[in-house]
Formats: sequence, structure tokens, C-alpha cells
Amino acid sequence: MALLEAQAVTKIFGGLVAVGGVDLAVEERAIVSLIGPNGAGKTTFFNCLTGLYCPEEGDIIFDGGSLVGLRSDQIIALGMARTYQNIRLFGSMTAIENVLVGQHVRLRSTPLGAIFQSPGTRREEQKAEQQARELLAFVGLAGKGDMIAKNLPYGDQRLLEVARALGSRPKLLLLDEPAAGMNPRETDGMMELIHRLRDELGITILLIEHDMKVVMSISDRVSVLDYGKKIAEGRPDEVRSDPRVIEAYLGAGVLTEHTA
Amino acid sequence: MLLRSLQRGLRIGAIAFAILTYLILIGVPTRLGALAMPVLALLTALIFWVALRGGKSKQAIANRAPAPLFLTGTTAGLVAGVLTASLIAGFAQLLMAGVNVQPVFDKMVPMNVAALYGVMPGALAAGELPPWGWLWQAALLTLAGVAGALLVLIERALRQRTWSSGGALRWLTMLLPFILLAFVVWLGSPGVTLGGNNRSTLRLLMAMAAIGSGLFALRAARPGREQRLLALLLLAGLIYLPFTLDQFQNSVMGIVFIFVMMGLGLNIVVGFAGLLDLGYVAFFAIGAYVYAFLAAPFASPALSSLLTSLGIPVDGPLVSFWAAIPITMLAAGLGGVLLGIPVLRLRGDYLAIVTLGFGEIIRLFMLNLSDLTNGPRGMLNVAPPYLFGYSFGNPREIFILALLGAGVIAFAAYRLDGSRLGRAWIAMREDEDVAQATGINLARTKLLAFAIGALFAGLAGQLYAARQMNIFPDNFSLFVSIDTLSLVIVGGMGSIPGVVLGALALKGLPEVLRGIDEYRIVTFAALLVIMMIVRPEGILPSTRRRRELHEAGGPASEPAAALEPALPSDYRTLDGGKP
Repeated sequence: MALLEAQAVTKIFGGLVAVGGVDLAVEERAIVSLIGPNGAGKTTFFNCLTGLYCPEEGDIIFDGGSLVGLRSDQIIALGMARTYQNIRLFGSMTAIENVLVGQHVRLRSTPLGAIFQSPGTRREEQKAEQQARELLAFVGLAGKGDMIAKNLPYGDQRLLEVARALGSRPKLLLLDEPAAGMNPRETDGMMELIHRLRDELGITILLIEHDMKVVMSISDRVSVLDYGKKIAEGRPDEVRSDPRVIEAYLGAGVLTEHTA
Repeated sequence: MLLRSLQRGLRIGAIAFAILTYLILIGVPTRLGALAMPVLALLTALIFWVALRGGKSKQAIANRAPAPLFLTGTTAGLVAGVLTASLIAGFAQLLMAGVNVQPVFDKMVPMNVAALYGVMPGALAAGELPPWGWLWQAALLTLAGVAGALLVLIERALRQRTWSSGGALRWLTMLLPFILLAFVVWLGSPGVTLGGNNRSTLRLLMAMAAIGSGLFALRAARPGREQRLLALLLLAGLIYLPFTLDQFQNSVMGIVFIFVMMGLGLNIVVGFAGLLDLGYVAFFAIGAYVYAFLAAPFASPALSSLLTSLGIPVDGPLVSFWAAIPITMLAAGLGGVLLGIPVLRLRGDYLAIVTLGFGEIIRLFMLNLSDLTNGPRGMLNVAPPYLFGYSFGNPREIFILALLGAGVIAFAAYRLDGSRLGRAWIAMREDEDVAQATGINLARTKLLAFAIGALFAGLAGQLYAARQMNIFPDNFSLFVSIDTLSLVIVGGMGSIPGVVLGALALKGLPEVLRGIDEYRIVTFAALLVIMMIVRPEGILPSTRRRRELHEAGGPASEPAAALEPALPSDYRTLDGGKP
């Protein structure tokens, strides 16, 4: 049974069908990529999954239950967290505070507990902070916990977004262009991190990515969207040689370059 | 270099002259009496100091060379002095010639001008002004220019010492509140005549300055044992304050600290959670009226007939002040939730408009539900608090209660700021959608902000009703909301000490300026405008706000940010983001 199963998900803006009847299944502990040209509806699809948009048609089954109609804070509580294409950190907060906000759904302290500093609250806060530091270390931001999020270098901001998402202890992590704007060294680091997320934390990954090197080397399966429709699906090497994909997206030049 | 120093001096002098002209025209010298000119010169020296030190960074102040500084200062002083003295001489000649200037300059009475010469008004009428008057005034202001330059140099020396030998400036900041407090106590002791008729006002001003400087002292202290010790000492001083101040001073301080309570509550809604609430007075009104219903049921026609029919006597309060606290707070908190529910989906301007309406609705309810609230005739004879059978309602005791209330609220706000809920508020303020997608229940978080803010306003309202003893719907107009919001903004949004400072400045200073009547609001408005241009983050901002408004956050990025012009925050992430 797949961890996530999107069935004929459709999202329409006015007259534009941004996502039209997309099916997608993500098996547990898999790394699945979603690719497609600009404007293909990839991010819109992510927004439908995480509750930022409510799809007009179709169903989304996650971990045995439907997500349609749930708010995004309820969805993250079920175990699906995400990052954003254009980094959306809480800029004026420190790195560690960002991760602590990510842990929000897993914490229980109440306002009264906070005012009177009940033993339970104090213990929970201490544990949460320690956990946040561990998560920062896991993504490679050890020692940068007290820096202001927006003062971090670009690559570190991307890593911090991953750490924040990890704060909610997700089963499925959606990464929206995690390697966008990174230099080759940072990209390699990100690929390694994605592997470690799966292998060490057992997190299933669904990612959108434009960097074909990343997509082809880390994905177990690849799905291709074009004009809101899924046009191909399969193992990376299958998708790579699919003529419809070549026509819609990759272009012959890119293909030969990569196979060469 | 020489020319630039002179130019700068001319400009600063002209600005000082404009400010002095304004102060003279609105009749400040009349209030100051014989000391008018020296006090104005002192003020001018401070203006020169601020203008001459220019750049805000420590580096810029350290780089000021003495020679051009004195040249600029002396030029500025000379310009301000000659112009001001001539202006005064002009008015003196007009008055002596019997020209009626009052229709235009209503404050230019002989007493005002005479005060500037340090003589009695009679001397002006008789045409006997001191022969060296003009020169004396001009010289005094020139001296102020030299003093301003000297102050910059002193500051520079102190700052340089900070690096080498452990902070003279820091110790000075930490000692200042105690010096001011000692001064306040000394002013109040019998036999001291400093300040003449205005001694009481001067004492009030100094008491407020002591509290304000205490906040800066706390900030200057090293965290840890030093800060704790200082906080303890300051607390002792603060507790002593109500016992040394007189009736009038305590009364002003009482209202200031009632507004501190309100400001701290609104700070949670606006400063922490970022929800612009313009109808905050509603919860203040609910607190005041609920307490009035409980403490003076006889003032409400409907309530008294209902209670009589139930066989309950209505000639006294139903419950004591202390027992009423949870009831009024809960009532206000409920009001907060009720307002919160319909506005959950609104943001920014729309939220502001709706809350504004809510505030007015509550006031109109109080005005028109005359069966319940006695309408515009108000709720009269609200009982003061009683402690062990003694009335606890005179200004001194109200000030003590307000201090206590503000302390409790500040403590709660401080704890909430660093909690899970506090983080959720800040995240929500920064980016509502992402906050929700990160797991924050927006409805719950917003309602909690409204409710907690309202609880505190309710408590402030109850204390206000107990202080006034008679409350009317007009006490709860839109201006209370605006005042409270302004004090939060001026003090520094999201900053707890900032709220205290804002209340002192906005509710306390106008009381000190009472002498200049109709002009104090204009003066105040001008100060607010200048303040918003020069320091938009408030006097004592929270570190987080400062980060938001001034891009340069960490020390590492400071040099780069200094070169770039100020851009809105989105800009830099954009061009810094895309490679």
C-alpha cells in the first residue's frame, strides 16, 4: 500500500486547468521526483497535497486517510511536511526558532503552562531545543542555531527549510526545488542529505527538481507533468527515453548530453 | 572642509532657531519664569549635541575631529543666538510700543517676553529692559553651541574608554536612575525651593525620567547576576516611588501605569501576533463597566430593579474589588473571543477597520443601553478597592495597584514571548500561510492573542473604573485605542520595556506640559512625526523588530549594509537569493 496516493487530482483557476486529473502513488521509503517544464503545475500540485489549495476534484489518500478538505496545519500533523521553491523562512527569527516553530505540532505546552513555567513545559522546551539543535546538525547547520534566518547564506537557508520541515517529524517530505540556485558542491551536499533523510530517518521523499543530474541520480521513480497532465511515469531511465517527455520537456540536446 | 563645517553650522543653527521660535511663540518662557533663557539654552545645547554627533554608529562618533566640530558648533550657536535674540528684541519693542500682537501671537504677552530677559513683566511695561539683554541672550545660545560640541567630545572620550577599561558609559547609564530618584526624593523634602511654582511638575518629570532611565539601565547591564541585582534595586526604588510622590504626581503616575497595562495587552495583539486592532478600547470599556455593575449596581436602573425583585439589597457593592478581578477579566476575554471569531479571516487594513467598528459599537452600547448602563449620565459612585476594611482608592494606592497590575502583566507577557505560543504568534505575523503549513492552527492562535490581550485590558479597565469612581461612555472613545496604539508604536512594537517608556512619553509628558494647553497636542504630533522618520522601530525596540526594520542584523553583515541604501526587506532576499 502506497504512503501517498493522489487520485485524479484537479485544480482549476478560473478557466485554466492548472492540474488536470493527476494520479500519483508514492511508496513508503521511496524517492520520487516530479518534473516538467515551467508552468506545468508541479507546485500547484504540491499546494493541493499540503492543503494550501483545495482541489476541485479527485482524492488524496495519505497514510490510509483522505486529505481533501483538511487545513494545512492538520495535514502537517498527520505527517506531511514541505519546503518552498522560493525560500519562505521566518526571516527575523533565529535558525533554532525556525526549527522550534516547525516542531509546533509535536509540542503540547499551553499558555498557562508557559506563564507559570510548569515543570512539564520546562522539560518539553528543553527537549525541543535539544532536538532542534540535533536537527540543525543533521542537515549540516551545526553551530549556526543562533543566527538570524535571513542573514544565513542562500544554501544554508535551503537547509534550514529542510530542518524546519523535519521538526514536525514527517513521514513524507515534499521538497520544492531543493537544489535551485545552488552551486555544484552545494547540490551534491543536498543530494547526499536527501539520501540520508531516507536511509537514516526513514522519510519518504517527493521532490520537484529542474536539475536533471539530481533527478536522474537520486530518484527511484520519476513522474512528468506537462500542462497540468501527467504524460509519463516510471524509472528514471524509462522516463529519459520516453519520446513524449523528450518532446515536451527535455529536448533532444539535453538527452544526448546526459546519455553521452 | 572649512566651508562644509560652516555650512553645517548654519543649517543646524537655523533648525535650532526654528525650534526656539516655536517654543517662544507657544508661551514656554511664561511657564519657566526667570529661568527661561538658561533652560532654553540648555535645551538648545542638547539639540546641538544630537545634531552634531550625526551618524548613529559608534564608529562615526569616534571619528569626529575636535576642530571642525567646534567650528560647526560655534557657528550654529551664533546663528541661533543672533536670530533668536533679535526676534525677542523685536517682540519686546512691539510690546513696549503698545502694539497689540495677541490676535496673531496669542501667547506673546508681556510676561512671556519679560521672562526671556529674566525680569518682571512690570519692567517691560515701564520700558526698562536690561541694556545688555540682546547680547546676553545671543551669548548664552552661542555658548550652547560650544557646549553641544563639547558633549560630543565627552561622549567620544567615554566611548573610547569603554573599549579599554570596562565601560564608564555603562556605569553611568546604570547609575542614572538612582541619581534621578535621589533627586526626586530631595526635591520632595521640606524646605527645598528649586523650581518655584513648578516644583511639583519638575518632580513628576524627574520621577518619569528615573523610571525611563531605569529601563535603559537594565538594557545596559550585563545579563546574569549584574542584571538581576540591578533589577532588584530598581524594583525597590519603584516600590518606594508612590510613597514619596504627592497626590497629583501619584494620580498622573496611576493613569500612566493603567495605560502601561493596556499597552502591554495591546502589544500582545499588535506587537507579537501582528493583528492591527483599532478597537482595543472595547475591552477596556467592558472591564470598567462590568466592574461598575458589580461594585455599583444601584447606578444601573435595570440591574437594581432586578436585584430588588430577587430580594438582594442594592445599596452597596455586590462583590469586593478583589473578587471582581476574575469576573471582569473573563468578561473582557470573552469579548476578545467574540470579536476574534468574525475577523479570523481578515488581514491588515480590513482587520483594522472591523476592529475599529467593534470599539465604537461597545461605546454606543454603553451610551444607548441606558436601562443597563445609565447612558450618558454614567455609572456613579463605583466602589474603590478595600483592604482589611480600609479604603484603598486614593491616588497613591491606585498607583501601587497599577504598578502591581503592570508588573504581573509584564511578567506574563515576557513568559509568553518565549513560549511555544509566542513563537507561533511571531511566525504568524511574518507569514500566515507558511505558519499554517508549518502546523500552526491560525484560528486558535489568533483567538488566543485577542483573548489574552483583552484579559489584560479588562483588568486595566477595572482599575480605571475604581480610580475614576464615576465612569461615562465618553471615557471610552476611539482616542483611547489610538493613544494605546501610539504608545506601543512609539515605545517599540513587541518590546515590553518599550511599552512602559511609550506610556511615560505619551501619557505622562502631556501632563507635564499641561501649562502650554492647546499647543501640547500640536507639539506632540510634531514629535511623533519626527520620531517615526528618525526611529521607526520605536525608542526601545525588541531586537526582533529592529531586525525587521533595519536589514543589518548580525555584526558580520554590518559593513555591507552600510554601503547599500536602505531597501525594503523583500528586495535584498530577492537579489541575494537568485544567483
